[in-house]
Parts: sequence; C-alpha cells; structure tokens
Amino acid sequence: MMKLLDISKKYGEITHKYPFEPYKVAENFRGKPAYVYDLCIGCAACGVACPSNAITVQFNENKSKLVWEFDCGRCIFCGRCDEVCPTGAIKLSEEFELAVKFDKSAMIQRGELEVQCCSECGKPFSAKRLVKYSLECLSKANLGEKRLEEAKSYVSVCPTCKKTATVANFTAGKEMVIE
Amino acid sequence: MKCDKFIEALGQRVKILEVTRQYEDQVTALVELNDLPEAVRFLYYDMGGYLSTMIPNDERSINKHYALYYALSMEGGKMFEGDEIAQDEKCFVTVKVLISPESLVFPSVTPLVPACVWYEREAYDMFGLIAEGLPDKRRLVLSDDWPDNLFPLRKDAMDYRYRPDMKEHYMEPEYDFLRPEGSGIIDVPLGPLHITADEPGHFRLYCDGDTIIDADYRLFYQHRGMEKLAENRMNYDQMGYLAERVCGICGYAHAIACIEAAEKAINLEIPARAQAIRIVCSEIERLHSHLLNIGLACEVTGNYNAFMHIFRIREYSMKLAELVTGGRKTYGNVVMGGLRRDMTGQEIKESLRILHIIETQVEEVWDAVMDDQRQMKRWKGVGILDKQVARDFSPVGPNIRGSGIKRDTRYDHPYDFFKQVKFDVAVVEGGDVFAREMVRYMELKSSVSIIRQCFELMPQTAIIVDPKFHVKPENYSLAYVEAPRGENVHWIMQGSAQKVYRWRCRAATYNNWPSLRFQFRGNTIADAALIVCSLDPCYSCTERVTVVDVRSKKSKILTHNDLKAFSQTLKNSPMKDLK
Repeated sequence: MMKLLDISKKYGEITHKYPFEPYKVAENFRGKPAYVYDLCIGCAACGVACPSNAITVQFNENKSKLVWEFDCGRCIFCGRCDEVCPTGAIKLSEEFELAVKFDKSAMIQRGELEVQCCSECGKPFSAKRLVKYSLECLSKANLGEKRLEEAKSYVSVCPTCKKTATVANFTAGKEMVIE
Repeated sequence: MKCDKFIEALGQRVKILEVTRQYEDQVTALVELNDLPEAVRFLYYDMGGYLSTMIPNDERSINKHYALYYALSMEGGKMFEGDEIAQDEKCFVTVKVLISPESLVFPSVTPLVPACVWYEREAYDMFGLIAEGLPDKRRLVLSDDWPDNLFPLRKDAMDYRYRPDMKEHYMEPEYDFLRPEGSGIIDVPLGPLHITADEPGHFRLYCDGDTIIDADYRLFYQHRGMEKLAENRMNYDQMGYLAERVCGICGYAHAIACIEAAEKAINLEIPARAQAIRIVCSEIERLHSHLLNIGLACEVTGNYNAFMHIFRIREYSMKLAELVTGGRKTYGNVVMGGLRRDMTGQEIKESLRILHIIETQVEEVWDAVMDDQRQMKRWKGVGILDKQVARDFSPVGPNIRGSGIKRDTRYDHPYDFFKQVKFDVAVVEGGDVFAREMVRYMELKSSVSIIRQCFELMPQTAIIVDPKFHVKPENYSLAYVEAPRGENVHWIMQGSAQKVYRWRCRAATYNNWPSLRFQFRGNTIADAALIVCSLDPCYSCTERVTVVDVRSKKSKILTHNDLKAFSQTLKNSPMKDLK
C-alpha cells in the first residue's frame, strides 16, 4: 500500500490538460479523412475501396451532378481511400474530435462535380474532371499526335455507346486502326 | 504427415467415410451420424484433444444436407507432466457429420464431452438442428421472444436486415433459469450490466446466506449477427475490418484469425515480415488487454490506487499502438496476402523506448500490488477453477493456464512468426483469481520479449504478396490466434465470387463461460464480480453468456441446515463425497 503511494509521488501528476490544451497525436495517426474538393476528379476509386460504404459516389436524382458523399458516422478510419486516391484529394487527417450536437447530418460531407455527357447519346456518364484528368494523363504518355486526337473523341463517349460502336464496327467488317 | 496417426486410431473406433485435408495440420473425417458422440469423445479424452470450435453449416446447396464440424485441437490432455503430444504431431482433427434436412436431429455429444454444450444449443438457435440427448435445451443466442420457426443462419431463412417484431415486455417469455432445489435459497441478480466491465450479461446467483451455491446466467444481449452479415455479401477486403470489430479489446486477434482462415483455405503463404508485424501488433494488443484486466481486478476489489497506476502504464501501450499502426485500438492493417502498413526504423526505435518504460513500470506497480496483503487476500483462493472441470470444458487463455494446464495456441500450434520466436508459456497452479492475474503478469513480460525478438529477427522483405490468388468455392479452413483472452478460432468456408459462404467466429470467452458456474460455487456474493472479472470476459465478442451444463459433473447443494450442522460439529464434511 505504502509502496503504491511512493510510486504516485515518483511520477507525480500525469493527467493531460486536454481539452484545455491540444492533444498531440502520433505522426501517422489515422484520423478523419480530409477531402479537398478542388483535387477530386470523381473517379469513385475511394467509393469502391471503402469497406464500410462510408463514401459513395453517384449521380443526383436528375443526373445533373455527380455527388461525392462521405458519412463520417460510418467511417472506420482504415485509410483505404487515402491509398487509392490518384490525386490526393482524400487524406487521413489528425482530426479525432468528431462529436456532433444532436444533428447527425453534420457528419455528412458532400462534393458536387460537373457531369460529362456522352458525345454520342448525350447522357451523363462521368465527371468532367475525370475526362480532363484522363486526357492529361494520356498527353503525358508519349502518344502520337493522331492517336491523341482519337483519344480525345474517344474519352467523351460513354461505355454503352462504346460497346455499340465496337459491335457495329465488327459486324460491318471494319477494323480499328491503331498506328 | 501430421494427423494421420489420429485418423488411423479413429478409424479403428468408428467407421470413417471420407478423409479430407485442408491444410498441413488440419484434416476432416466424415463419420456416420450415430458414431458422432463416440468419435468426438474418443478424440477428446482418449487421444488428448480439446474442443476448439463446432461449426454447424447449411450445406443444402452443396450436398443437400446440414453439416456439423467438431474441430478438436489435438495437443494432449495435459493433466500431468508428460501428458502431452509431441510438438510436431500436434494438429487439428475435425469430425464432420451430415444431417438430413428432413429429420434435423443429431445425437448430442454433451453427455460425453461437456465442452460441447453451448455449441449444440447454438446449433438449434441458428439452424434448428436438434441435439437429441442434450440436457439443456434452452435458447442461447437469440432472445426469448424470437419467433420459433425462424433460424437465422439458414441460407433461405431471412435477409440479414430483417428484424422480427418484438413482443411487448410483459408478453415476453420468462427465461428459465436453472434453480437449485432446496429451501432457504435466495436469488441474487447480478447484472444486466456488469459493474466493472460495463457490458451486459445477467447472472443469477443462488445463495445460502452470503455463499453462492450455484449460478446461472443469460448472455447474448448484444448479439449482432455478424456472421450473417458477412455471408455471401462481403468480400475478404471488408471482412478483415468487420472481424476487427467483433471485440472492443482484442479485435486485432480476430482480424488476423479471420484473414488467416481465408488465406489457409487457399494455401497462401504470407511474407515473413508481414508475419512478424502481425505478431508485434497482436502482442501490443496483449499488453494493453492484460493491463486493463489486472487494473480492473484491482478496481473491483476497491483498490483504486493500483487501478489508476496500471491504467497510467496502459496508456503507454495505447500510444505504442498508435505509433506503429496509426490507431489506438483498431489497427486496421491486415489484408489478405499480408499487411498494408510497414514499420519504419524510427518507429521501431521509438517502440523499443516505450517498451522499456512499460516493462520497468509494470514491474514496479506489480511489486507494490503483491506487497499489499489486503489485495492478496481478495485474490487468493477465490473463484477456483478445478483442473478436471477445466479439462472437461476446454477453457482457454489465462483461465486454463491459471489452473496449471499448459495450453497456449502460440506454443501448441505456432502460427506466423512464432515458429522462430522463443518464449515461456506462463503456467501457474492454483486456479484462483490470483493465479490468473499472475499468468497475465508473466505474459506481459513475455510479450515485451516477443516484440523485441520480432524487431530483431524480422527480415527486410515485402509485406504483402502479389494478390494473384483466386478463391476456390467450398474450400474451408480453420485459423487460430492466441488473443489476450485465449484462443480465437475462425472457420471460413469460401463461396463463389470472392465471397464467404460460412464464417464461424469463435471468441475466446465463448469457451470460458460454461465453466464459470463452477468457479462461482462456494464463494461469497462480494467476490462474484471479481470472479467474472478474472475471466477477462469479453461480452460483445462472445455475444456470441449463460452457464451451461446441467450438473453433468458432481455437484452438491448444501442447505442452510446442512451447512450449520457442519459448521457447529465439523463432522461429515459435505465436501467428502465430491472428491
């Protein structure tokens, strides 16, 4: 018993002053994912990787916007989104104070992106930024001028139209020429 | 090959229809339904097995039957020196039977092997499989007002989101507690919230004066249906994270066990560095879990001073986890094929510094606690788990090691990096609360040494293998990890499309609860909370508690008069005919 009191004396007060003083977390702490709207291209890689479905990427009701949505209440702070994001738009931060007062919707974060419509059918299929990003990547990929021109028209076609076009080309006996 | 010896011996006892091998140390023998009790009893008592888990499975879509898998860990009875199987022969033998969906009846193994009791009760709750001859047929997992003909884990029973209507509380059926007969018995309810663990579980203590003569319990208030949630829905990427959330304390052990079960089913070997880091993280988890339990064992006996000191040290272990994984409790670094996060040299250096602090300070505080006579009197001789009871019920972890039985998965079935790490299994005789806490203290020290060895020995390899594997449907396998509370066993049968067909997660405490009843007997009410605490129970992960067996072993109820007569005359000891 007395020994314990000696130990108390030896180590003194160890209680942290938090919340009156900030609490410092470890360098690679996995806190709340921080989202940078300006970098987001709407590729939905984070939405696919998210094991708990905290992140969803889908069109809004009238398909006028591609909506990136993050529900912090569902987040398990695993950091898969951070790993897969090609542009670094989502990164785990050091933030751990996540309580909200009564209103759970305060935990939801949204980002609305411009949609890209298909140049063939006119239906929205992706985000404008994603198409732009793809082109940027391609232009850095050392492609021939003509190929790049082809790609330009190609990236703005939706997957459904691409399929139909391919089938049409095949059945018509045309072959795609890649130089 | 491993296991062949046991299969051969079993073959001479009962007719084996088919033998399949899942992994180098795992075989399954299909036997006829009527031979089931004898086969399990033979392996358990005659060949030296312990029941690791039992898995009921709905295999109607595969072979038009329900199946039961009794997985036994063959390691020797360990009741006396030398009663142990040679290290390189230890393995898992699973006894499988098929049950026709028309009859749904199987012969109960419980009368022969008491350890099966909870598993067989659960088989009814989840699948509607009826154990003929099971002495205790009450519900275990599902609530009392659950509809009678709805068996959730049957593949065609219900959507995982379905919630049957609840009955009004006054309409709810009474749970039938096993009340000992005799006059003058007082019921003392403990719970539905445990005083230190802050977790739900209802204990009904039957007392004569201040002494508990028997106990019964009802648990599973928190059953979350995780197995149903994962089946046919989640991929392995998601399951690791779900498994980590089975338990609030030893979740990481569940995460590795779950992922390793999936890895073993496809024979995937992970890189040595990933193995070492998995061990490091699970040992860090053991540090914080054991410190938590030793602290609580002090708190529940009113020693707040020691509790505070132990929690002060525990904070270092939380910091350590935060440093190497980025999270204080959920480490979240296990993926199929290895790990997601490596450790840097800087992190290792800092970890070694923190480990040194933990090691020296734990020693200091433990010495002070041991010096405290009042504390020792509360711990010694309380909640004794008899060695024979331990043998019959297959408890795990510090609970059984405190009764002098050398059972430790890390030693019996070395997994991952444990083949290269040296450590002593902490075994203490006595079986009381003190023995269990002593085991924990010894393990704290060995954990520190294991982590240091891992840091020294881990090679500079990749931490993840190229995930070019594909899952084969209907393959299944067991994985076992020694969590702080004991062995966690996960069993996975893989399904198509990278999904799991059946996931059976057996938490350590699930095996520890059934023998708790014996630990209660003869103690005072004041010690009841301490006894529960010394099990280091983990409600939420077991929720997968009610003490079970119906007096299959000797027990005797003393009436007030018996006891008074003995106290006055000291003749005709009531304990005489129990020995």
